[in-house]
Amino acid sequence: MTLSDHTLKEIRELPPKYPHIRSAVMPALDLVQEELGMLTQEAMTQVAQALQVDPGYVEGVATFYSLFHLEPVGKHHLYVCNNLSCQLRGAEELLTHIKESIGVSEYGQVSADGLFSVEPVECLGACEYAPMLRADHRFHYDLTPAKIDTLLKEWRGDREGKKARKEAHPRAGSH
Amino acid sequence: MPAATELRGSHGKAAGPVLTKDFGTADLYKLAVYEKIGGYQAWRKALTTMQPAEVTGEVKASGLRGRGGAGFPTGTKWGFLPPPDGGPRYVVVNADESEPGTAKDRYLMENHPHQLVEGILIACYAIQAHHAWIYIRGEYDLQHDLVAAAIAEARTAGYLGEQPLGTEFPIDIHLYRGHGAYICGEETALLESLEGKRAQPRSRPPFPAVKGAWGRPTLLNNVETLSTLPWIISNGGAAYAKFGTEKSPGTRLFTVSGDVQRPGNYEMELGKPFSHLINDLAGGPFPGHSIKVWWPGGCSAPVLTGEMLETPSDMESLAAIGSMGGSGGVIVADDRRCVVRCAYRLLQFYAHESCGKCTPCRVGGNWAVRTYERVLAGEGTAADLATFDRIQTGLAAGRCLCGLGDSAGWVIQWTMERFRDEYEEHILRHTCSVEAAARA
Repeated sequence: MTLSDHTLKEIRELPPKYPHIRSAVMPALDLVQEELGMLTQEAMTQVAQALQVDPGYVEGVATFYSLFHLEPVGKHHLYVCNNLSCQLRGAEELLTHIKESIGVSEYGQVSADGLFSVEPVECLGACEYAPMLRADHRFHYDLTPAKIDTLLKEWRGDREGKKARKEAHPRAGSH
Repeated sequence: MPAATELRGSHGKAAGPVLTKDFGTADLYKLAVYEKIGGYQAWRKALTTMQPAEVTGEVKASGLRGRGGAGFPTGTKWGFLPPPDGGPRYVVVNADESEPGTAKDRYLMENHPHQLVEGILIACYAIQAHHAWIYIRGEYDLQHDLVAAAIAEARTAGYLGEQPLGTEFPIDIHLYRGHGAYICGEETALLESLEGKRAQPRSRPPFPAVKGAWGRPTLLNNVETLSTLPWIISNGGAAYAKFGTEKSPGTRLFTVSGDVQRPGNYEMELGKPFSHLINDLAGGPFPGHSIKVWWPGGCSAPVLTGEMLETPSDMESLAAIGSMGGSGGVIVADDRRCVVRCAYRLLQFYAHESCGKCTPCRVGGNWAVRTYERVLAGEGTAADLATFDRIQTGLAAGRCLCGLGDSAGWVIQWTMERFRDEYEEHILRHTCSVEAAARA
């Protein structure tokens, strides 16, 4: 998968925002992931060419950070916190429930309908609402298996896939 | 989302005296509301009536200590920057909150973003920086958008930009998103990441004050530290120092999570005992259970037992019993929890988050995880007690460039120190009476 001209244009416009061009690499990879859902080898090479940095450098950055996907993920990728505060509140049971509900046996595996994937993650900084997860740029709090069922049902109805980031936060975009 | 989400912690009538005093005010995140309750008056006072050195003087007088983890005196840190040389210098805001059990910076950013923006402006003026960069963890989407909106509102209103409040002191605040790496909470790793690199800590010296972001003098402060500044400038450093203890003045925002009835972010005066925070504010343990083990300042602060709840919350009292104030994230586990299993989860965390630069941390974390897995599977042997000891001594004592390895070592060291019988039961008898009782 390669990048659209539109995304490449956006990437070329990034460098002046930063004191050094290297700081534009991660924002560029964000744009790639937004368009393709993951970072492909071809797209990383395109980023390197657009920003005039070494392709190995781009890959080095991409492989360091957990939020970059180097393998395909579902349309809705569920980041479920299972660090201690969430684990004490039942995160493991939720993870098992999610895997069973979307029909996958491994973390990172994409469901047969392409809609879902799930991974346990380290603390997401919302410990007073444990257990919690992040999906489509939003946090979901005080989770129970029943709440997971409701969310999955909602997302199964949302065949359009990911909501745009702005739509995910009506409050933040309201002024 | 938080507009519809219940605030958990200090707000309304139960608000704290400094950071959360206005929490619970409707639409506090909007500029008009913030201005109505006196917002940006501290910025006006600092910029138009005080010299930069006077601002630093007030912060020194307040005795404020960094709320990110190390607890270093804020005013002293500001004093480490060399005098302006005409080139760029930066304020970098550490909003990469990711110490397990810590959610207070999120609470501050999503509910009170203008208080943070005002604090950043004050810090910029004090150290004569015209650019601030907020490094915010990538998972904080809403918080990023709210802080960005607050900056935009403040720019439109003339609090920052080319001529803030009509002065000739241009300031701009930029946001930079992290991408999922705990190590970025460490200040030199954060700088590497801000510069677009793999986030591996730098060797010091040079310290960031001298050579920080993009090779220039840089002040790094945590969200909570900066959010305290408007109050200090408005009320004076001496008034702030009246809260708390002599060496740990002020209040701090604690996150309480885990096995308590009212988890939340609570502002409490330093020096008050943790029993007040955990039992009175956070509701204490669930009926029929008692607190067995707790981490006072994120999981990197050495673990304490239920008998130690009366420990005062100032940094000196914690240091006296071998722990630390850390990030203010208090994780509580009750009598149903196996300490060895808790320690295993935390070592998985440190192993996953090791950046790989220093060998003891890169190797030690994974070695510990494998040992815990063997022990928890009932396959431990007497030699494993010595193995844990060997791993933790190899991780600790500053053998690495940053504190991640030490923190991992402390989890092993202090859970073994305080709960040795549980380790022995697992390793020598291959059972866990705690989990057996919880299942019964």
